[in-house]
Amino acid sequence: MRSIDIHAHLTPQRFWRATENGGDWHSLRREQDARGRQIAIVGDRRGGLPPKARWTPEERMADMDSLGVDMHVLSPYSGFYNYALDASLAVASSRDSNDEIAEMVTAWPDRFAGLGTLPMQDVNAAVAELERIMTTMGFKGAMIDDKVNGKLLDEPEFLPFWKAAEQMGALILFHQGDGTLVDFRTDKFHLPNSIGNLADRTITFCSLVMGGVMDACPDLKICLSHGGGYTCYNIGRIDRGWQGAPDSPTKPPMPPSEYLRRFHYDCIVYTKESLRFLIDTVGADRVLFGTDWPYDMEFDWPVSWVLSLDNITQEEKDLILWKNLENLLGL
Amino acid sequence: MRSIDIHAHTFTPTMLKTMAAGQEWYGMKYTDAEQRNIFVREGKIVNVHPKCRFTPEERVADMDQMGTEVQVVAIHTPVFGYHLSSADGIAQAREVNDDIAAFAKEAPTRFAGMATLPMQDVDAAIAELDRAVNTLGLKGAELDTVVNGKTWDEPEFLPFFKAAESMGATLFYHPQPQHNLMLERTAKYGLNNSVGVPVEDTLLVAALIYGGVMENCPDLKVCVAHGGGPACFGMGRMDRGWQVRSEARVNITRPPSYYQSRLYYDIVVMSERSLRFLIDQVGIERVVLGSDYPFVGWDPSPTGWLQGLESITQEEKDMILWKNLEKLLGIETTGN
Repeated sequence: MRSIDIHAHLTPQRFWRATENGGDWHSLRREQDARGRQIAIVGDRRGGLPPKARWTPEERMADMDSLGVDMHVLSPYSGFYNYALDASLAVASSRDSNDEIAEMVTAWPDRFAGLGTLPMQDVNAAVAELERIMTTMGFKGAMIDDKVNGKLLDEPEFLPFWKAAEQMGALILFHQGDGTLVDFRTDKFHLPNSIGNLADRTITFCSLVMGGVMDACPDLKICLSHGGGYTCYNIGRIDRGWQGAPDSPTKPPMPPSEYLRRFHYDCIVYTKESLRFLIDTVGADRVLFGTDWPYDMEFDWPVSWVLSLDNITQEEKDLILWKNLENLLGL
Repeated sequence: MRSIDIHAHTFTPTMLKTMAAGQEWYGMKYTDAEQRNIFVREGKIVNVHPKCRFTPEERVADMDQMGTEVQVVAIHTPVFGYHLSSADGIAQAREVNDDIAAFAKEAPTRFAGMATLPMQDVDAAIAELDRAVNTLGLKGAELDTVVNGKTWDEPEFLPFFKAAESMGATLFYHPQPQHNLMLERTAKYGLNNSVGVPVEDTLLVAALIYGGVMENCPDLKVCVAHGGGPACFGMGRMDRGWQVRSEARVNITRPPSYYQSRLYYDIVVMSERSLRFLIDQVGIERVVLGSDYPFVGWDPSPTGWLQGLESITQEEKDMILWKNLEKLLGIETTGN
C-alpha cells in the first residue's frame, strides 16, 4: 500500500534565504512578531507561517515518514500566488518557486512530484510558465486561486489558459489564496477559512460548469481541494439554479450534477460521514488523498485516519490513498 | 395530510394595497405598471411571485392541492425593513405583524404566523416580539441572517436572544435570496440563490454557535431555512477550526458540532441524500417540514416529495411533517 498526498504546500527555501537578513524575495518580505512567529509580507498583506513551513526537504521527508506519507505532490504556498503584484514580479517568483520544486523532484523522484504556481494576472505569461514546467520540467500541473484579483476563472480571458492546460494534460488544483468570500462578512472565529474555503470551492465548480469551461475543454483535469467544499452536498440546489437560469451561449446542456465526475476532490472533509457522502456523490475514483501539510488545518494523522474509517471499504481506501493519483498523474 | 410548513412566504395586504394605489410603502414601490417588481431601495429590486399576493382563501385552496395542513406564514425577507430608521422600522413591523396575525384569525386551523422585527433597534425588536407573541399570538419571528452588515454573534443581540428564550418564541432564520454575500463575488448564473443562500445559512449557524448564543441560551428555539445550508456537511471543518484557532474558542467550551443539534432545520435541501445526511447529523427531532412556498417547485408537492423518499422511515416522516413542529410551536394538527 502507498500514499500520495495531492495537497501539500511548499514555502520555498529561496524565500527563506532571500529574506534572512531583511532582504526581499521578488518584493516579498518577512518579519518576526512578538511571539517569534514568522510573518510573510506580500504587498499589503501579512500572513503567518508555521514553523514547519521552513523545513528543509530532508526534514519534510522525515515528517512524511512519521505520518506514513510516501509522496507529496508539492504545491506552492498559496500566500505566494502574487496575483496582485506587478506581473513581472509574479513571473519571476513563479519561476523561482517552480525551479525549487523541480530540484526537489529531481533529487527525490520517489518522494516528490510537482504542481507549479503561475502568474495568472497575465494569461499569456501563465500559459508560457505552464508550458515550461509541463514540457521541460516534468510537472503534473499547477495550483491556482479560485479568483484572480476578484475575477472568477470563467471569464473569457482565461479560456486560452484552460485550452492550454487541457492540451498539456496539466492537473489544475484549486486552492484559495487571497482571502475568501466570507472575508466580506466577518473575520471572526476563523470563518473565512472554515466556511470561506468551502464556499469558494463551490463557486469555482459552479462558475466552470455554468460558464461553459467544462464543455469547451472536455479533457480538462481539475482537482477541487477541501473536498470541493459544499459542492457535493449542495448539488441539488445548484441543479435547481441551472434549471432556472436563462438560456445563454455558455449554459451547459446538462445539469451541473452531471459534471460532478468531471472533477477530482481531495479528501479533506474531516468526518467519515462527510467523506462517505462525497464518495457516494462523486465516486471513489474521483477522491484523492490530501492532507493540507503543513498548516494547522491539516489532518493530524492523515493515513491513519483514512485507514481507520469503518464506513469506507479497503478498495476505496486504496483508490483514495494512491491508486487514483497514480492513474491521474502517471506516478 | 397532517403537516405544518414552517417556511412559507407572503406579502401582506396593507403593503400590497398601498403600493397598488401608487404610494410608497416604507420607501418601496412598484417599478412597473404590471406590478411585477418592487423597488426596495437603491440597488435592490425584488420581483413579485403572484402567489405572494394570495388572499388567505386562495392560499388555503393551494395548500389543499399540495396536501399542506398548516402554513406558518411570514413576510418575504426582501422587504424586511432593517435598513429603515428605527421609527419606520417599528411602524413597518407593527403593521406587517398585524396583517400576518390576520391570516391566523381568518383560518386558525390553517395558518400560524411569524413576525418581522425592527432589528436595527434591539430594544424595540424585543418589545415588538413580545407584542407579536403575547398579544397577536404569533409563534415567533422570521429574521435575516445578517443585520445591516452585523452578524448575530454581536453582544448587542444577546438581550434579544434572552428575551426570545424566555418568551418561548421561535426564531426562523432566512437570508436574502438575491441580495446576499454572493454579490461581493459575482452576480452570474443565479449563484446568489443556489450558493449564496446556503452559505448565508451556514454563516448564521456558525454565528449562533461560535458566538456563544446557543451556549448562553440553551432553551432558545431557532430554526434555519434551507436545512441550515451545508453547515452539517462542513461541521468537521468548523470543529477543526475550533481545535486549532484560539479566536474560534472565545465564546464556546465545546466543539461547534456539539451545539448543532440545538437548532432546527427545514427540509429545503433539494436532494434525498442530503436530507438523509442532515437527519443523521442533527437528529430526526431537529428536522422539520419547510417548503419555501411559493418559490420551490416540489415534485409532486412538499409533503408528497417527503412521503416518496425511500431512505426515510415513516416515523421519521411523521416527525418531520408535524410531530416536531407541533411540539416546537404549540400547534395541533388533525389531518382534516
